[in-house]
Amino acid sequence: MLKHTPKELDVFLSISSKLTGFKEIELLATGMTGVYFNTITAHTNPQTVALFYKECEQILSLDNEKEISKAIKNELIPDSSYSGLAKQIITMWYMGTWNSEVISSSAYTQGLVWEAAETHPPGAKQPGFDSWSSRPI
Amino acid sequence: MTMEKEKQEYDVVIVGSGIGGSIVAKTLTQAGKKVLLLEAGLEAGIDFNKNEAFNNYMGYLDTFYKTTAKVPNSPYPELKDAPSPNVIDIEAIEPCKPSTKGYLVQAGPLPFGSDAWRGPGGTTMHWLGSTPRMLPNDFKMKTLYGIGVDWPFDYNKLKPYYEMAEFEIGVSGNVKEQKGPDVKVDVNYGKGYEFPMKKIPQSYLDAQVINSLPKGFKVHFNGKNHELQFVSTPQGRNSIPNPNYPYTEVVWNKTKKKLQLQSEKRWNTFLKTYEKVAKQEAKYQPVGAVWDDHQGHRCEGNASCVPICPVQAKYNALKTLRKSDPKNITTITQAVASKVLTDEKTGEVTGIEYKKYKDPNSPVFETYLAKGKIYILAANAIENAKILLASDIANSSDQVGRNLMDHLVMLTWGLLPKKAYPYRGPGSTTNIPTMRDGDFRKDHAACISPVDNWGWAWPKFSPGSDVENAVAQGMFGDALRKHINDVVPRQLLLHFECEQNPEPENRVTIDPNYLDNLGNFRPVIHYNASDYLKKAFAQYKKVSDQIFEAAGIEDFTEYTTQNPDHVEYEGKTYNFWGAGHIVGTHRMGKNKKDSVVNENGQTWDHKNLYLVGCGNMPTLGTSNPTLTMSALAFKTSEAILNHLNQ
Repeated sequence: MLKHTPKELDVFLSISSKLTGFKEIELLATGMTGVYFNTITAHTNPQTVALFYKECEQILSLDNEKEISKAIKNELIPDSSYSGLAKQIITMWYMGTWNSEVISSSAYTQGLVWEAAETHPPGAKQPGFDSWSSRPI
Repeated sequence: MTMEKEKQEYDVVIVGSGIGGSIVAKTLTQAGKKVLLLEAGLEAGIDFNKNEAFNNYMGYLDTFYKTTAKVPNSPYPELKDAPSPNVIDIEAIEPCKPSTKGYLVQAGPLPFGSDAWRGPGGTTMHWLGSTPRMLPNDFKMKTLYGIGVDWPFDYNKLKPYYEMAEFEIGVSGNVKEQKGPDVKVDVNYGKGYEFPMKKIPQSYLDAQVINSLPKGFKVHFNGKNHELQFVSTPQGRNSIPNPNYPYTEVVWNKTKKKLQLQSEKRWNTFLKTYEKVAKQEAKYQPVGAVWDDHQGHRCEGNASCVPICPVQAKYNALKTLRKSDPKNITTITQAVASKVLTDEKTGEVTGIEYKKYKDPNSPVFETYLAKGKIYILAANAIENAKILLASDIANSSDQVGRNLMDHLVMLTWGLLPKKAYPYRGPGSTTNIPTMRDGDFRKDHAACISPVDNWGWAWPKFSPGSDVENAVAQGMFGDALRKHINDVVPRQLLLHFECEQNPEPENRVTIDPNYLDNLGNFRPVIHYNASDYLKKAFAQYKKVSDQIFEAAGIEDFTEYTTQNPDHVEYEGKTYNFWGAGHIVGTHRMGKNKKDSVVNENGQTWDHKNLYLVGCGNMPTLGTSNPTLTMSALAFKTSEAILNHLNQ
């Protein structure tokens, strides 16, 4: 779909969606896509990153979700693949951390774990007085 | 090293701007007394200029966001020249080898589990805000149960000061709902008494837990059945003002020589003077953020009371300090009290020596002497004891530093059968009072049992650890999202906050081998958990088991010897965590033989030296101590006003 430059950014966004279980539009809404992409570039061996995106591109071009999911499980998820980059990407999106360090204030408040748990990051995006006495919206 | 004398002599010199020091500063300056306040922390934290206060506080918030381990002290500056105890530094202690990792030198055998913050506003910056009162029986532990000591007075004597503290903190709660052993609303609170604000709504999670148990459900412990009760917790965070609450300010009545809650006038922080309250006007006004009175009038559900309320809807001591009359207060920050000087003949305190630093991490400082008629240490229970020991004063009873207490919090956690949606709202909105009092206190510790609204965050670092574990197992995509969505919203955490009894060997000492960056003593902590507590853990784990079984909660509680605070009792391991309730190190009593201060916080040995803070408490009770300590601070303020007016 080539929305971004470099084109790996599109690959990153698409594979992030498959890895996290969040739609691309949900990921884009965090405003963190570029930051996370750059975080990987800054902290990972460039050759590893290049090979990772290459394989991601191949996986994403597979016929159906089942095939994609199977390929992710077998080719990306093992710790032996690309220095465990896929798992780091998931943690980065869910927790806003890279190697257990919080990437930035926004990375913390945009962590996906809170949305997944039907709540909000503590100390941000407050739901308002009395909201806690009912089920989340 | 230079020794400069302050030019002015004040009525009162106060050490520490936490809730104790701030209550005294506010009360005394509003009554026209000249106060010098010494604060060890940074200047920026006490600046009440709108922009500065806002920017500084937003700086705290941003630090909180960016810190990986979001422990209670995490938003606040950690200074080498005024270091704070931090839970991050707690580690197991090898025999005969103290842990020196953090500010506290932990001599053991068990590490003391609580932290505090030394800076403007003190530990109220990160307290949770729960404000239950002590029970009448808590004041008579020796007489009733043969444990510890009695207080020098009974509950009724503290009652008017409890009301002042509830005004000052701005307690939200429902008096009528208070129940449990030794609670009769008309007796404990007095007929018709109400809190300043309506109760903080109890959480959806609370309701799920309560409704999952059969009506009249009883738990069995210490050989008896006890009906399990749930109570809305009074707390120091802003809610809907209670139109029936009649008071507008605590004011010194010179004629009656008393502090009084009254309805005619209130302190206006904008005009910096009293204003008349019109008859038809709403009496109670919530106190907003220190940078903007219009922000923080209601809790907004940030779910981060500990370590920081982003809108200051939760009370902190800066709100009280800001009500000090600026004409009468001088504040010196970055000033670390190191020694209290006394006249050898008269025993009177002649000054407080303090070290003033410019760069908080440099060992460079200048020494000054603060002079007043009366001196007050309000630096927290560990620091107060440390300063007294360093000065070698006030200790004819040999009780200074002894009887260090905390609530030892045994946590239990499990998964509810249905989603209750934790990680929302204040940390806790409901508590179980059933184990707060009874004959069993002869055998084992009582406890209060708050229902936690924040899932397994405390013991397991959830939900981060849930993500990490799931990812480590190879979960990804929809399955991962579904897993988090299934598990995290069902997490339940119960606290069993057990009352530690006073024991002389649980204590703060000093040792010239352990000094901080400015050459001040680091507190050396000796600490253990007695069988009185271990037995309580065993009883309350069984109580937890009964609750979990009846409510269909799958138990995931796991106690390990990896946890620095682990004990063994009758073949089983238990873990406990510190509650941040640091109490008892300079206890009050009826005579100078076995106590450090009298019922007004005045040291027996030095007439013009008063101590303020949780260190005064002879026993802990099961309530969170801040409210009681604040009540005592009002009592001390009144005594000091009478002392000065003699």
